[in-house]
Amino acid sequence: MIATGRQDARAAIVTTLLVTLAVALLPTGSYLAYLLVWLAVATVAALSGIAPAQLARRALVALPFVVAALPLLFTRSDEIIWAGELGAISLSVSGAGLRILLTTALKAWISVQVALILVKLYPIESIVGSLRALKLPDTIATSAGLTIRYLDLLRNEATRMLRARSSRSASPIGETRERAGGSIPWRARVTGNLAGALFLRAYARAARVEEAATARGARGSLSFGGLQQTDPRIVQKAALALATFALISAAGALLPRF
Amino acid sequence: MHPSLHIPDGFLAPEVSIALWVATAVVIGIALRRIASGHANAPARTVLMGIAGAFIFAAQMFNFPVAAGTSGHLLGGVLAGVLLGPWAGSIVMATVIGIQALLFQDGGLLVLGANIFNMGVIGTLGGSLVARATSEVVGGGRRGQFVGVGFAAWLSVMAAAGLTTLQLGISGTTDIGIGLPAMLGTHALIGMGEALITIGAIGFISASAPDILSERTSERGASAPRRIALGSVIALITVSLAALFASASPDGLERVAEDLGFLDQGQGPAFELLPDYTIPGLDGTVSTILAGAVGVAVVVVILLLLGRVAARRRSA
Repeated sequence: MIATGRQDARAAIVTTLLVTLAVALLPTGSYLAYLLVWLAVATVAALSGIAPAQLARRALVALPFVVAALPLLFTRSDEIIWAGELGAISLSVSGAGLRILLTTALKAWISVQVALILVKLYPIESIVGSLRALKLPDTIATSAGLTIRYLDLLRNEATRMLRARSSRSASPIGETRERAGGSIPWRARVTGNLAGALFLRAYARAARVEEAATARGARGSLSFGGLQQTDPRIVQKAALALATFALISAAGALLPRF
Repeated sequence: MHPSLHIPDGFLAPEVSIALWVATAVVIGIALRRIASGHANAPARTVLMGIAGAFIFAAQMFNFPVAAGTSGHLLGGVLAGVLLGPWAGSIVMATVIGIQALLFQDGGLLVLGANIFNMGVIGTLGGSLVARATSEVVGGGRRGQFVGVGFAAWLSVMAAAGLTTLQLGISGTTDIGIGLPAMLGTHALIGMGEALITIGAIGFISASAPDILSERTSERGASAPRRIALGSVIALITVSLAALFASASPDGLERVAEDLGFLDQGQGPAFELLPDYTIPGLDGTVSTILAGAVGVAVVVVILLLLGRVAARRRSA
């Protein structure tokens, strides 16, 4: 039902997944291989008209998650590279832990850049359409298509409701000089009420969309249409993706690790 | 504070990612079959699911100030499950989590199966089943529904946090002993926010448009034997989660204490009912299982008492 010049992104999706898998499979500490993969990613980005520096910066979104790996620095007892006392606490930093931390951060950073190239090159509708062509079940593809279509609308509505709330009741303590409205459970309930009100609007909208479709003569089946044109060189591109996978794996196996 | 449970690529071992993709695909496959067979009016259902997906996205923007710089906000798993039913709800959550990964790089692509499993399968499917069972245990009705939804919303956040940490631990990218208590500690509070917002939303909808929810709520509590059976299952889930956390945390908290050298200074509680989760005089596994069973019994009694109180208030 959404039909706007959808491009065939199948090869790009397969390449993205294979490169992400190859990066995930790279052994811990193979920094040279990561450097090569990143150079390749940056080159592909530059050739596609995306500034590599901007890509690298945007990919930092995944890095706060590295906090989860921080304990490894102190809990692993192999290859102690530093040990000392901090007041009453004796700490030791493990080289093996540090290596896992750095490797994980690099994997996350590079994987996000690969995913970013995919979504910058293909509109999301093309990606969903291509996933549909790659056997994503129709219910999910159609539902995803509708979600994407109504996303901005409902987010705008949510923004307006939040603005109305903050100009009338609960603003955080300390952010304004006025007292924040109500107790914490009261504020939570008000927030829940907003979510409930938004759902009722979404529910009513779904009923209207359904009515409109019936009025136009829709006969029951509803489907996210397939691709409008298919890539004639899909097989060659898939082979290229597999070759890239093999190349990254070989780099991981052959290049020295630290 | 945006407590992210969306794992990025690179943090899970490929075997773990692929195993969870398979598990997720199986459950979502079953869900698709269930909604296809259960509803004659499938297109209307799909339109509602699609727009509800956009609603969950938007509802995740709703936060409420707790203190300066800190806020509670919604994940929406149990809310989706209660509003749309467990099967359609989990498909909607899977779609939302997928679009978040693609459009906003909130969570990775290879690990998407894991993220859907933690938040969409366990959080929504498991969460709405827990909500339904809990509300039947405490006596049904409006109050029972709120207790069930709130408890399930809290549990869904805790379960997602616990599963995320376990998966990272198995992949060797975190230390479960430290990570689990830290994650569960913070998410115990975040889960309260989730519970309060979910109750608020369900309360608002059931007050202003009761017919939307009526087909999915049990008006009356379950019969006594069924209630006891359901209660035991819920208690079992809760206790086994707790046991899992407890078994991971001795070498978490206690080791931190040991490292810091104040383990000896730590004083035991005035009385210990089940010291170290074991029963005195028995050893090993048997003792742990018995201790678990005692825990289940205690939780069942508490739930039954809660149910009685709720029922009395309802009739009053």
